[in-house]
Amino acid sequence: MERYLKAESSFILRQYILHLLLAFLFCSLSGFFVSFRNLEAFQAAKVMEMYIAFTGIILLTPLFMPEQNKEIWLLKRSKAMPMWQLYLLRILTAVVLVAAVVTVFTQIMQRNGSDFSMRQLWIGSFAEILFLGSIGFFVSAVTNQVILGYMISILYFVVNIGSSRYLGKFALFQMMKGGYDFVPIMLAASLLLLAAGVLLRERIR
Amino acid sequence: MFGTLFLKECKQILKSMVYYIYVVVFVMFLTSQLSGEITENMEKSQPGLESYGITNSRDKSAIMEKALAELVMETYNNSYATYPMGFYREVTLNESELAKITSMIENCTGKNWEQVVEEMETHYSNYAQNSVQEAMQAQTAYSVIPLEELSYDDFCDIMEEVCDIIGGGSSYQKNLLDRGVAVPMTYEQAVEAFESLCTKDRVTGAIARLFCDYAGIVLSILPIFLGVTRCLRDKRAQVSQVVFAHKISAFQIIGSRYLANVCMAFFPVIMTAFVMQMPYQYHAKTIGAAPDLFAFLKYSGIWLLPEIMIVLAVSFFITELTENVISIFVQVFWAIASLFSSVYLEGNFGLHLIARWNVLGGTTEFWLQRQELLFNRGFYAVLSLAVVALTVVIYEKKRREGGTVYGKIFKGRK
Repeated sequence: MERYLKAESSFILRQYILHLLLAFLFCSLSGFFVSFRNLEAFQAAKVMEMYIAFTGIILLTPLFMPEQNKEIWLLKRSKAMPMWQLYLLRILTAVVLVAAVVTVFTQIMQRNGSDFSMRQLWIGSFAEILFLGSIGFFVSAVTNQVILGYMISILYFVVNIGSSRYLGKFALFQMMKGGYDFVPIMLAASLLLLAAGVLLRERIR
Repeated sequence: MFGTLFLKECKQILKSMVYYIYVVVFVMFLTSQLSGEITENMEKSQPGLESYGITNSRDKSAIMEKALAELVMETYNNSYATYPMGFYREVTLNESELAKITSMIENCTGKNWEQVVEEMETHYSNYAQNSVQEAMQAQTAYSVIPLEELSYDDFCDIMEEVCDIIGGGSSYQKNLLDRGVAVPMTYEQAVEAFESLCTKDRVTGAIARLFCDYAGIVLSILPIFLGVTRCLRDKRAQVSQVVFAHKISAFQIIGSRYLANVCMAFFPVIMTAFVMQMPYQYHAKTIGAAPDLFAFLKYSGIWLLPEIMIVLAVSFFITELTENVISIFVQVFWAIASLFSSVYLEGNFGLHLIARWNVLGGTTEFWLQRQELLFNRGFYAVLSLAVVALTVVIYEKKRREGGTVYGKIFKGRK
């Protein structure tokens, strides 16, 4: 257990801290751009889908950043801890952080007189944010370029602004229209992308 | 030396996967938005039609009617659009705040709120709400008549009170109301608009504007990745120190990189614009207009090139400063905020990064606002050069001191 904690804290302090600060800053500034007061269900969904969704990209895409450097990757590989365990630890941290962000914002909205189903919005937002982040995670895993991970996940978000109707159950912004059928599919797709990212990364390299 | 470096940079960009994604996404986005149906709207209007589209009016009674109509709709939906930091923010009011707003509407119209809502519902029931076109027509035709004795100044005072309740950046501010409102176009106005389209825009000018409107959206995001990729390439390949040690000046290194990225980012834009406007040259001739063969070049150069320049300059600056991908988030945020901050999709350019003109034509109105666009684009062109100059300074500092600028604080610690 101790070595897992040591490995993860080292990653957070040396590599992940900037992304954590960025996510924190992004969430802290939210009050300037979105309102949390007296929202109806679709308006609360809009806050989560159009704004908070970005935290998924910020938190999940850079998880392979240290190993982009081949020397660091070789060094880590030579250690006793298998790479997949290292990656899994990072994924768990990011997923817990995503869950925390979703909880904080749904609570803020509810305490400000908004009227929505807490359970439905929480799970829907979690699935969507995780899915968006896992796209970036997967792309950066297979290409070994974190910039491509950001690029594809951000472009996926932008494409959804005008063309979500072509993406079926994988379309974002469905909660704003009252649809929640996407949740199991998006959660499954997220898990698949995360698992495939970890497996393919080591095989490709 | 500068030329050699420039060519090397261009070759490097051609080897980058990010560049090919840039080209593919750009072309796909533009082709999906600018379809062949555009030419259907390019015909001389016939008398006796139900609708001829919309036009901008600065007539005070029209402003009062349309502002009241918008206020009624927003109050009915309890959803108000505000732009507190220049960016879109939706505001929802509580019961007591809503009661204050409805009482102000009652004071302006001389009718009680239920009556106003009933009239609004009756108006909208005459249009099929499942059709986008009909919904737009319903919105354009809807207006709420204020009391005859209500002067424009008194009306603006009431709207200021509305702004106080809704919060900062509301669209009922006097300076925004003075910019005019969208009103239905008459037959005579429609004929005049068509004449302007053929003579002043020569058809291809209007097409080029629409192209620039759509292209401007993607170009506020796509070049960021080119800039960040380029600036991080040396670090990734672990050759930063080798490049630092070269005799060549920081201006030449950064300048050639920047110029190569601007040229390579602009090249697919010009090519796509050129290919996409060709059918419209033919169409212009069929409706008796003489097409402007270089409209695509003029509009792209003035409208899109400064946007590419500033997006790349900022990404160069932030990435050289931080040696991290943080620029992606800052700039994507800027781009999306700029996109949602456009209250009007036809002009009112201000200092928006994305200049919108989402209509085919609107020639007279465009020429009225042309100076504002030129100022906007000129501002960004000059700003981008200033930002590149700053990047050169930062790069030179890193070169002399051998590392990141912000990292110096930590380097000094024992």
